[in-house]
Amino acid sequence: MDTILDRPRGLRLIGITQMAFGFFGLLASIGLVIASLVGNPSFLGMGLLYSVVIFLCVALPCLVIGNYVDDLRRNAVLAQVAYSAGAAVVAGYFLYLRGVSYHWTVPWFGLGLDVDVGNLAVLVVVTQTLFVLYLVTKWKSVAPPRGVHIERDKKKARILEQGLVPSPLPAGLVASDGHTSLTDEATRKIMEVRRVTTTEGMAILCSNCGGATPVAKAEKDNTIVCQFCGVRLGLSSVFVPCVNHTEYLAATTCAVCGEHYCRMCLTAQEPPVDERWKGSSVFLCQRCFEGRYRPAVTTASLVIPIDKLFSKAGTRFSRVGSLYGKFLRAYGHIMRYVLQFAARAAASVGKGSHGNDNAGAVIIAIIIAIVAIPVLVGVAMLLAAIVIVPLLFYAGLIGVAIAAVRIIRRTDFLTLERARQEGIVLRRPAKKVESPLREESRPWENPREWKKEVTKAEPFIRR
Amino acid sequence: MMSSETIMCPVCGGAIQTVSPDKVNRCEFCASPVLGRRQNHDCVNHPGRVAKGVCSVCGDLVCEECIQLRVGDYGGKLFTIANCGKPDCVQESKWAQPLNLEYQRLANMDWSDSVDNSILRVTGLGAVLMVVFELVFVLCMLYVQYFTSWGLTTDPVPNIPYFFVRGDTVVLFCIIGNLLSALLLQTALQVHVHERQLGAGILLMLLLVTEVGFLLGRGLLFNLRFYPSLYLIPFFLGAFVIATLMVFGGALLAIGVGFKKRKQLKRARETLGLSGQ
Repeated sequence: MDTILDRPRGLRLIGITQMAFGFFGLLASIGLVIASLVGNPSFLGMGLLYSVVIFLCVALPCLVIGNYVDDLRRNAVLAQVAYSAGAAVVAGYFLYLRGVSYHWTVPWFGLGLDVDVGNLAVLVVVTQTLFVLYLVTKWKSVAPPRGVHIERDKKKARILEQGLVPSPLPAGLVASDGHTSLTDEATRKIMEVRRVTTTEGMAILCSNCGGATPVAKAEKDNTIVCQFCGVRLGLSSVFVPCVNHTEYLAATTCAVCGEHYCRMCLTAQEPPVDERWKGSSVFLCQRCFEGRYRPAVTTASLVIPIDKLFSKAGTRFSRVGSLYGKFLRAYGHIMRYVLQFAARAAASVGKGSHGNDNAGAVIIAIIIAIVAIPVLVGVAMLLAAIVIVPLLFYAGLIGVAIAAVRIIRRTDFLTLERARQEGIVLRRPAKKVESPLREESRPWENPREWKKEVTKAEPFIRR
Repeated sequence: MMSSETIMCPVCGGAIQTVSPDKVNRCEFCASPVLGRRQNHDCVNHPGRVAKGVCSVCGDLVCEECIQLRVGDYGGKLFTIANCGKPDCVQESKWAQPLNLEYQRLANMDWSDSVDNSILRVTGLGAVLMVVFELVFVLCMLYVQYFTSWGLTTDPVPNIPYFFVRGDTVVLFCIIGNLLSALLLQTALQVHVHERQLGAGILLMLLLVTEVGFLLGRGLLFNLRFYPSLYLIPFFLGAFVIATLMVFGGALLAIGVGFKKRKQLKRARETLGLSGQ
């Protein structure tokens, strides 16, 4: 599976640039609305229309496409190519009609602000043409094929990049293709291979008729055909009984304690991230599965890591708190420039007013408005933090209490046994609610999401 | 239908291509060892003796006498692996330490499963009740402080004392109470883990004593004895007593069982003449 971290830098640049175009387009459309309402400059009644056109043709598409195009979305890339091509053609035609030197003079607090529309059109033609060329030439790495799932959550993407890809194994037994679940009959053949010692040596008890067939009659594919009813039985690698069910042949050893267990006593788990482990799952006995010693494998079980109770449950609240803190800091940072600008403007009032007291007073009033409103807003936000932080703390505690109840409910030895029995023997996956304390452990059990992932596993980025 | 070169994994059911007919093949789905098509079932060193394990390095079948079990850190987790006695295989398995099966048998704590289960439930639910108690208490005290005449009165002295601003003691002491209850909960959810049981039980008892003392002191400071309500204070007292008794009972059990486990481990080490480790 590919992740958002695989996106090329060029695509990211396109996204940011497009968003910037969208932002300026939005500012322009707002400015046109204000200018139309004020009546200065005069657009001869077309100001609002211009505003709508700029909003619909520049601001909105640039913001929307720019937001999605760098997320490795095929449709967004297609839209970007179409939009860029269209924008380049329109801007080129504009240049053909008006020329590069075409410009507007926009009134700005009594001053004239020159907007080089011709140069802007050149910029649009150049950038949008480059975008189209880049996207077309790098098509394979910027536009994922249809059906390929891209992990866009950066946290999950990092886990995937580190090799912590969840195993696509269901809780039950896997059929010979390695994907689909085994049939009931085949499962029974695997699960119910029993061993006895007869006068002919070790023998396998048939799960169908109960007849004993000597191990010596095992066939070359390590299966054994019951000499009484003809059912074909599977054999384990070693002929050791299960620790819990001595009448059953052990399927394999518990990866943690090393004891031999039959398949009924073992729970499949995701493997640890280690190059020495080549399989897609490991098997654990009940005791090791419960992790009451050192946790055995990557958490994929019903057992919830208690150590992470507070950190996980509190993370989302602390994240909100830290985001708010960052916002306040950024706001304070911007305020410094606002104050500097206001101070400079105030200093220039005496120099440039030339006795015009009314104009000076108006400018001072504007400065006060520019400074006072953001300062008041900042103070209000600071005061809000005093309320928000305790509320987040309170909400975090509620989250912890709910998660604790889930832990108590799910750390149940009987429930685990039942889950295993129902999942493997009865082929009825145990109902479980994903805990907020850990990542979703078995995404393939969510058909909607998983269907997307299994359609095409070929990573397109590395082509 | 499987081809003649393919056999069914006896563990997960996946298809295994038998590349080595006389050696153990690994299932590509679950990595379980599966016998080769022409592989003998006996130990490689003792013909006629059925093998009990598979060497994780060379794939030879070995009996109980020849097998060496080791425990090693596998991707940050403890795994048990088996190897035969061949020098190359021993060398390859050096990343894991030899496993003392006798010690493992003597240190087995399966006997405590049901009691640990009860301990977790009793202490856990008691601690959750304590957290809920604190969460509800904050809201009630804020209501009492700011929305009742009893809380607003200052004649001759305020019923709920404060330092600088009305209600500051309520906020401060309720935050401390919530933190204490959260610590109590965190500890209560670890009393069933073998390695931490004794320590967690003792810590839980200490935290409970602190919490009880703090709650009683806070109630007295807020003059809740004189709060004119027939239901509120008895309701809080009832919840508080039930939660305390549950946590106390669970902590006591955890200390008892944890101490027994500690003695078991100590006895196992003494029996096998092992050091303190």
